[in-house]
Parts: sequence; C-alpha cells; structure tokens
Amino acid sequence: MAWYIVRRVLLVLPTLLGVSIAVFAMVRLIPGDPALAMAGPHATPEYVRQVRLDLGLDEPLHIQYGRFMAGLIRGDLGRSSRTRRPVAAELWDRFPNTVELTLASMFVATLFGIPAGIISATKRYSIFDSLTMLIALLGVSMPVFWLGLMLMLLFSVTLGWLPSVGRGTLLHLVLPAVTLGASSMAFVARITRSSMLEVLRQDYVTTARAKGLREGWVIYRHALKNALIPVVTVMGLQLGILLGGAVLTETVFAWPGVGRLMVDSIGARDYAVVQGAVLLLAVAFVLVNLLVDLTYGFLDPRIKYT
Amino acid sequence: MWKKVLAMMVGVGLLTAAVWAATPQYGGSLVIAIGVEPESLDPIGMSSAPAATVSEHISQPLIYLDVDGTLQPSLAESWEANEDVTVWTLYLRQDVAFHDGAPFNAEAVKMNLDRFLDPASAAPFRFLLGRVTEVRVVGEYAVEIHTDDTFAPILSHLTHSFIAMVSPEQLRGLEPGETITNPIGTGPFKLERWDRGEQITLVANEDYWGGRPYLDKVVFKFVPEDAARVIMLETGEADAIMRVPPLDVPRLQANPVVDVVYATSVRVIYIGFNNLRAPFTDPLVRRALNYAVDKQEIIDVILDGVGQPSTAPVVPAVFGYYPAGPYEYDPDKARELLEQAGYPDGLKVTLYHPTGRYLMDATIAETVQSYLMDVGVEAELITMEWGAYLAYLQAPPEAADYDMYMLGWGTVTLDADYGIYALLHSSQWPPDGWAVGFYENPAVDAALDLARVTPDVAVRELLYHTAIQGIWRDAPWLFLHDEGQINAVREGVHGLIHHPLENISAWEAWVDR
Repeated sequence: MAWYIVRRVLLVLPTLLGVSIAVFAMVRLIPGDPALAMAGPHATPEYVRQVRLDLGLDEPLHIQYGRFMAGLIRGDLGRSSRTRRPVAAELWDRFPNTVELTLASMFVATLFGIPAGIISATKRYSIFDSLTMLIALLGVSMPVFWLGLMLMLLFSVTLGWLPSVGRGTLLHLVLPAVTLGASSMAFVARITRSSMLEVLRQDYVTTARAKGLREGWVIYRHALKNALIPVVTVMGLQLGILLGGAVLTETVFAWPGVGRLMVDSIGARDYAVVQGAVLLLAVAFVLVNLLVDLTYGFLDPRIKYT
Repeated sequence: MWKKVLAMMVGVGLLTAAVWAATPQYGGSLVIAIGVEPESLDPIGMSSAPAATVSEHISQPLIYLDVDGTLQPSLAESWEANEDVTVWTLYLRQDVAFHDGAPFNAEAVKMNLDRFLDPASAAPFRFLLGRVTEVRVVGEYAVEIHTDDTFAPILSHLTHSFIAMVSPEQLRGLEPGETITNPIGTGPFKLERWDRGEQITLVANEDYWGGRPYLDKVVFKFVPEDAARVIMLETGEADAIMRVPPLDVPRLQANPVVDVVYATSVRVIYIGFNNLRAPFTDPLVRRALNYAVDKQEIIDVILDGVGQPSTAPVVPAVFGYYPAGPYEYDPDKARELLEQAGYPDGLKVTLYHPTGRYLMDATIAETVQSYLMDVGVEAELITMEWGAYLAYLQAPPEAADYDMYMLGWGTVTLDADYGIYALLHSSQWPPDGWAVGFYENPAVDAALDLARVTPDVAVRELLYHTAIQGIWRDAPWLFLHDEGQINAVREGVHGLIHHPLENISAWEAWVDR
C-alpha cells in the first residue's frame, strides 16, 4: 500500500512536467502580442518594446521555458504583467475561494444526486424515476451561464431570498454552488441509478433477499456500498472538472476565484498568471484523482494495491 | 424620442444624480458595481478607466479636469508659463497632507513626477510627460516643469488620473521595482482594504483638505457580467452600476426606484480605411462609404439611442473640436460617388472588427456590412479577439493586409492633440504609432505640428479646426458615432458625478436613507 502511494506520487511528476510544457506552449500559440495587449492602444511603441524586454519575450522559446522551470523549482511563479504582483500572491488570494465553491457544489451534487439515483433505481419506471431522469438530463444540458442568471432572477429579484452575486455569507454560496453543481448532480444521479440497477441484479442481493432481510437493509447495507465505487470515480473526476470548470460560474456570480482570474489574464495575455493558474488546477486535479484511487480500497476490500 | 431629449439635456456630459433639491447628509455608505477590477492602484502601473475611477478617490492629480473639460485648480492652485512656454511653474496648495500625515509640497511633487518619468518604472502612460526634461523644486510650494520644446497640451496631460500624488514617505520605503498596493494619497477617501477579485473598500478621509466627504464608506465591487450588475441594482445590493447593457434599459426604466443615467463619453467609434490600398486610395470612395451608412439608425436601434453620429474625429467636449459633420445618410449619393470613382459595379473589401470591446461592436459591424451591401460594396467581416486584433493592426504599411478596420479611441486628456495626432498624423504610422489607416495630408500634419508648439489657446483652437476640416473632407475613416455611457443609480443617492472619462466619482455624493 505504501509502495503504491509512493509510486502514484512519483507518477505525478512526469504528468505535471507534461502539463507545464503544454501550458507554456499553449499560451504562446494564442495569436496576439502580450506586450501589446498589456500596453494597450494608447501606449507608445518604445513602451511596448520595453515591456517585451521586461517580460523576456525577445528570448528564444526554450530559454523562456528554462527560465519558467527554474523559477518553478525555486517556487517562484513569476510576476503578473497586468498587476505587477507575484503570481503566487494572485493565486493565493483566489484559490481558497475556488476550493470553497467547488466543495460546496460537490456537496450539493452529492446531497441530491445520490438519493435521487437510489430512489430512481429502486422505483424503476415510476413517475419519480422518469421525473428525476428528466431533471438530470436538463441539469447536464443547461448552460451554466443561463442557469445562473435564471436562478438569480428567481431567488434574488423575484423572491428576494438570496443575495445575487459576490462572496461573503453562507447565503452568498447557495446560488453559485447550485449553478456549478447542477450538472454534476445530474451526472451523479444517473451514475448512481445505473450502478445501483446493476448491483441489484447480482446474486448476492437475491441471496440477501431470499434470507428474508428487509428491503431497506438489502439496499443500503448490501447493494449501496458496492454500487458506490463507480459513483466515487465519477465524483472524483467531477471534483477535478468543477475545480477547473468554475470559470463561467465565477464570472456570472462575480466570485473571486482562480477561474475568473484566468479569464482576465488570458484577455490581457498575462502569460505568467495563466501558466500559474493552469498548473495549480492541474496539481489539484491530479491530487484529487490520487485520493479517489486510494478510496477504492476502503469501499471494496477486493481491490488490492500492488 | 423622449430618450433623445433626455440624452440632449445631459449632452454636455454633466449629470448628477440629484433629481430634486435636498440638503446633503453626512454618513452612510455606497456600493458601486463596476465591470472590471483595477489592474493596479499604483499610479505608475495603471492603464484603464476602472483603475482611474477607484484611484481618483484616493490619489489626486495636480489639476482636475472637470466634467465639461475645464482645468480646475486642485493640488496645484495656479500655474503660469515662461515666455516661450517651455517652463511651467505650478503653485501648490499649502494646507494639504497625505493620509499618513506627510506634508504635500514641492518635494513630494518632484518625487512623484520623477518616479513616473523614470524609465525603470515602466509607466504605461509615461508618454503623457514624454516631453518633460526636468522637474525642479523652486520653493516649498512651487515646482517648475521643463519641457524640451513648447508642448502646449502639457496642462491637460497633468490632469490625468495616472499622474497622481502618493505620499513621499511611502515612496521612500519602496524597494526598486516594487509596486504600491495600498496607495497613500491626498484624496477625499482612504483605501481601507482590497479583496482581490471581489471589491475595494474606501473610508472617508476626516481631514480631507476639501472638507470631509458626506459618505463614510464607498465600496467598488467588480462584477464582470452585465446582467448580474443590473440584478444587483434591482435587489439593492448595489446603489449604482456602470455600463448598463442597452437591452436592459427599458426594464430599469420601468423600475420606480432606479434612475437610468445617460452621460457622454470621450470615445469615438470609427471604421478606418487603409488609405494606401485601392480602392481606398481614392477619397471619392471613402466619402461614398461615409454616405452609405445610417449612423442615427445604428444608434437608435442597436445602442438604444445612446450616443450621437460623429461630427469630427473627436467628441464635442474635447478642446479643439470643430463640428465638421456628420455625413448624412444618402445611399444614392454613395452610389453616384462610387460610379464617379470608377466602380459602377460595386467592389469587394475586407472589414476587420473586434468583439466585446466596444458597446455592441460586432453587431454594429454586421449592420455596416448590410448598409454597404446596399450600395454595392461587399464587405467580408473578419472578427478578431481583442488581443489578437491589436497585434494584427501593428503591421507596417507594406505588410498591412486589411481594407477596413473598426476601432474606438477615447481622448482622455480632452485635448484634441491626444485624439488626432496619434491616429491621423503621418509620423504615427505603425509600427511607430496607431495611425493604422496610413492617412497622410501634409496640410493636416502641419496644422497638428503647429498646434503642439503654439502657446496661444485661440490659435491652437483654430489650428485644430483647420485640421479637422481637412480630415473630414479627406474622410480617412468611416465616421460612425460618439459613444455614450449608460449608468444607473438607485433612488436616494445624490451627487454622483458621471464623468465623460468613464469614471464615476463619489466625493460629493450623499444618501438619504
């Protein structure tokens, strides 16, 4: 088990190296001149030239990458060209907010997704089942942007129950968490349902029922635990996706997170911040997946780590 | 129509939200939702209107440019020039202190201006003082600003929010290359805290030299989504919002507790022609296209009546403005001119435009396309993301591969030099400047050059009138419109200043609730 963890952690390193190269190349493939984007149309050409020099953009790409990696090893992500602050400070200000929003969305997704999936599976083809699956379909297909604005109109403007945008109290968290969590919730519900249906067909469930156990006991004690393995996998993936996918939600709800920082920075061709943000999210994604892998053993003792 | 009347009433640019006369009250706070977070509050690091909006409350420039474009004494009480107008002496107020108690004096001014001018500071707007050779302290409350030649627009440039004064104590404590994140200025408000990505909170400066502001607190919230700002105003989470999307205006107008505020802007929106490429080498063709587009209709239908057809390359509020236009909508005349120019069967061109940069920019480009089609000009639209677009437009003449390009420009100093010289003087062709259309008229060049070095205000004004008339005849651009701003304010908020520089200022504001 320990050896497995060490190996998995070591595997993370080449993954991140790959990510760093990809990110570095990608921001430079976007057409446009970062010096110009930063200086704006009012700036003089000398100023633009100077910015280019300051950012080291006159150097060949491999030298720029070398600098970037050397900084990274020292824990220095560089300086934002837009705000002139260290990238690490920019990220540090916002990452906790993104984590907060992500966890809240995951909570919403789990709280509603898993019970809905279980009930759908046990009451298959009932009205509840069809309705839940219809809502799930909507949840997956509704654009986050539109859903966010509709929720705001309903709960903030019309009903006046919840604050519309910004961060602050727990109430501020409700609308963005529901908006961001909607598609995950739908996903979790669908996976729980199908996984549950599969498990319910297995012999040991039939055996349990034949022993005369109560139906509730059969479902929650015998079936659910095994049905949860694919659900946990999906949730882990979803958590990663939510972390990086909060961009639109953060924009709509003026949520001060990493996703919004990334959007602002791409517009300004603020390479250092975009690189830092993507790397941070990549690390978070990889770690979450590692955790998910390790959880399997607890859920299903048949899984062995070698 | 009534909307236009209202817009005209505030056409000069000034509108305070005070609708009825009442006595100002002290106390209370105000939340203003703006779309973009300032990139910095360090004067040398700023480059956007949102940064200026917030910063002005904290750190002030020496001279204040008021809403109708007049220079008002502020930290500098008065000023005078030497005979050949190469040295300006500014006399400073003597009763001013920075928020940290440091005295405001000539030494402080010199430190700030020197820092702004230092190439190592890399101030994006350093060119505003590009002609300054030296700043000299000549008394405790007097400074001299020396320029390499007569540079008439210098006073206007000194009004810029990016040339603001911060405490000399703070400047002394900076490491080389360090950026100020908590500016200590002389303004009516002090920075309390900056929650990154979220909001900036200001508190009243009890000892403000101009008298304590009415409000205890002003909070600027950053809300990028237009519709979300509107919702915040409706729910009362914001007291004022900037940049209301035209589509939402009717809804806000129907709301009894909200006032929609129309104000002018200093920005013109135009479509430049590549004056070096056929068919736009021919002024007949350029003029023809100006007649082909109905600008008023664009304003009425797409911009909800906000703005007005351009009558010059700068807006009326700018010093040196001359009403040369507009080009009235006349498609028959356009066809006739095209025929005269030798294009009876029409022609094909490319039209580049950004998206999401100016109010409804892409929609406007599409509309222009259909107007042009109507007179036989087939324009291929090429949409570009802003960052990529800027880079694309910096090609030198021989490499420039566009026929028409849509751009906007704000004359933020309210002096025609800033608006016209940069875009239409032939010395400013890329890659050395932003005269992206490669327009050249020696007479216009000469007038613009002369206006830069002429100290006499009346003569300068005449020179700009001449230049504008020449430009209008030559039609190097398809002149579209002067942008307007739409803000909205909740009932009970008074005295907000909606500045044509796209700032909203709260130092005279008060609330009665």
